[in-house]
Amino acid sequence: MKHDFSELKLDRVTRRFAGAGGKAFNALDELTLTVRKGEFICLLGPSGCGKSTALNCIAGLMNLSGGSIWLDDTRIDTLPPEKRGFGMVFQNYALFPHMSVEKNIGFGLRMRGVGGSEAAPRVARALKMVQLEGQAHKLPGQLSGGQQQRVAIARAIVIEPPLILMDEPLSNLDAKLRIETRAEIRRIHRELDRATIYVTHDQEEALSLADRIVVMKDGVVQQIGAPPDVYGQPANLHVARFMGYRNVLELEVSQRDGDRIVLSSPDFKLTGIQRQPVAGNRGAVAIRPEEVVVASGGGPNTISGRIDNVEYGGRDALLDIVTPSGTVLHARGPVTLRRGESVSVHIPVERALVYPA
Amino acid sequence: MMSALARTPFDRTLLLVIPAAAFMLLLFVYPFLYGLWLSFNPKEGGALANYHHFFTTDNLWPTIWITLKLALPATIINVGIALPIAFKMRVKTRYQRWVTTILVVPITLGTVLIAEGMLLYFGPKGWLSQFLQFFHLYEGPIRLTHNYWGVLISLVISGFPFAFLLILSYITGIDPVLARAAATLGADSRNQFRHIYLPLLAPGLAMCFCLAFVQAFSVFPSAVLLGSPAGPTRVISIAAYEAAFEQYDYSLASAIAMVMGFVQLVIVAAVLSLRNLFYRGPVTGGKG
Repeated sequence: MKHDFSELKLDRVTRRFAGAGGKAFNALDELTLTVRKGEFICLLGPSGCGKSTALNCIAGLMNLSGGSIWLDDTRIDTLPPEKRGFGMVFQNYALFPHMSVEKNIGFGLRMRGVGGSEAAPRVARALKMVQLEGQAHKLPGQLSGGQQQRVAIARAIVIEPPLILMDEPLSNLDAKLRIETRAEIRRIHRELDRATIYVTHDQEEALSLADRIVVMKDGVVQQIGAPPDVYGQPANLHVARFMGYRNVLELEVSQRDGDRIVLSSPDFKLTGIQRQPVAGNRGAVAIRPEEVVVASGGGPNTISGRIDNVEYGGRDALLDIVTPSGTVLHARGPVTLRRGESVSVHIPVERALVYPA
Repeated sequence: MMSALARTPFDRTLLLVIPAAAFMLLLFVYPFLYGLWLSFNPKEGGALANYHHFFTTDNLWPTIWITLKLALPATIINVGIALPIAFKMRVKTRYQRWVTTILVVPITLGTVLIAEGMLLYFGPKGWLSQFLQFFHLYEGPIRLTHNYWGVLISLVISGFPFAFLLILSYITGIDPVLARAAATLGADSRNQFRHIYLPLLAPGLAMCFCLAFVQAFSVFPSAVLLGSPAGPTRVISIAAYEAAFEQYDYSLASAIAMVMGFVQLVIVAAVLSLRNLFYRGPVTGGKG
C-alpha cells in the first residue's frame, strides 16, 4: 500500500458473468486504460454498461476473468481489496451505522494500526475538508443524505489512498445538493492531487468533473477523451445519442466531398461532416437540439416544418418540428413560438455529424 | 398537544388484537396468576411455607443449579457454534441450501425421538462405542447416556437449529456492502467480522441467547430419558412434576414453577440489559 504512484494501468480487464440460460457474457470486455496521477476519470454509460463492474474490479471487490491491473510496476489485480488500499465511496454511502462519524472516518486508519493520537488530527482534517466539523460524535442515522455522503468521502480520503473510486456518489441526492457536492468533489480532488475514478450515468456530471471521460456500452469502451472531445466529436452513434444528440436521422447519401457528405430526404438536403466513414448509401446524421436554430430566410441546411410540440424551458423552449414528409426534429427556440406555427430552422454544417447508418 | 392527541380517530384495526388478547388472558395470564396465588396457599403453614420448604429441602433447591449447569453451557455452545456457521452461510452458494437443510433437520424431530436415537447411538452398546472399539480408538465403556453429558448433548442437538436459524436471519439482514466498504478500508475478513458484523449482531445474539436459554432451562423429557433423573440431572421441572403428580401437592408445584420462572427472568433481564450497551437500529449503511 503506497501513497505515491505515477500511473494505474488497466490492461484488457475483462469480467464475465453467467447470463440467462447459462450463457456467459462479458460485463466488461477488455478495458484498457491508463490513469495518471492527478487525473479525474469518469466512466460514463447507461446502466448495465459495465462501468460499476470496472470499478469493483479495480477496488478488488470482484475478480477479473481476464487481463491485469498494474499500479506502476506492481500487479494488483491478484490482491484482496484490503491490500490495495484504494478509497471507495459507495452509491448508498455504506457508512457503519453503529459507529459515530468520527469512528467511521477513523476506521481505515485503525485498520492500518494508526494510533489515536496520530489518527485524531487526521480525522479532524478530513472532517474539515468535507465541512462537517461539529458532527463528529453523531451517528450516521442522525445526518442528512448529503452529510452522510460527505462522511463517506471523508472516510475514503483520510487514508490518503493513491486512488479514490466513486460509484455514482451523487445519485441519491437532490438536484441542488448534487451540484454543490459535485463542486466539492472536484475541489477535494484538486487538493489531494491523487487520481479519482468516478462512475456515473449522468453526462452532465461527467462533463463537469472529468479530465477524461470513458464512454461505455455493453461492457465495451466506445470513446475515451476530454469532455469537449466527447461532447463535440462523439466517436460513434452510441456516444452521440448518450451525449445529448437527440436528433438522429437516417437519410439517403446523395453526394460526397472529402469528409463532407450530403444527405437527402424528400423534403430537404443536409450537409454534414463524416465522423466515421460512410460506405453504403445510407447515413445517420446526429444533431443536438441546441444546434438546430430557428432562423428566417433560406440558404443551405435550412429545413421548414410545423411546430408540433412546445416544452417551456425557462430561457428558451424545446420544440418538436415536423417536416411535410413526417420527419421530427428537436430544436430549441424562443418561448414565444406556439404549436401549429410554421418555422424554418438552420443547422451549421460542422454541427451535423454523420455516421454509418 | 393533548387535545390533538385526544382527537385522533380510533383505529379500528386495533380490534384485530382482541382474539390474541383474549387467548393470552384465558390461557396464560389467568393460569399464571392462579398458580401464583396457589403457591402462596400451601397445604399447611403460612403464605411463604412452600418457598421456605423449597429453599430448605436438600433435593429441591439444588435443582436450580443443576438446571443452570445444563442450560447455560448448552445455550453458550449453541449460540457459539451457530454464529460462525451462520456467518459462513450468509452468502448464497450452491451448497448453502443443502447445508442449511441438514443443520435444521433436528428441529423437526421431537425431544423424545432424539433421546431414543441417542440411546441407540451413544449407549454403551451403541454404534459409536462399537465403532471406537472396532478400530481400537478407545477401549472401555463410553458413558454418554444416563448422565449429565447425555442431557447436554441432547440439548445441543435440539437447540442448535433454532439458534442457527435465528442468527442466520440476523446476519443476512446486515447489508453486505458494509463489509465491502470495510474491506476497501483495509479490514480483512477477521476484522470485518469483529468490527462490523459482531457489533451489529450483538442485540440479535442477546435475543437468540435468551430464547435458547429459556428453551433449555425448561428441559424435561431428555433429562428423564437420557439423564439420571434421581441425581445429576434432577432438573427443576422434574421437581415440579414430582410435587404435582407424585405428591399431588399442586401448591408446592406452583411455587417451584414460580421459582423456575423467576430464575429465567433474572437471566433474561441480565442479558437484555447487556444488549442496551450496543447499537440498536437499522443495519444498513445509508439510503438503499
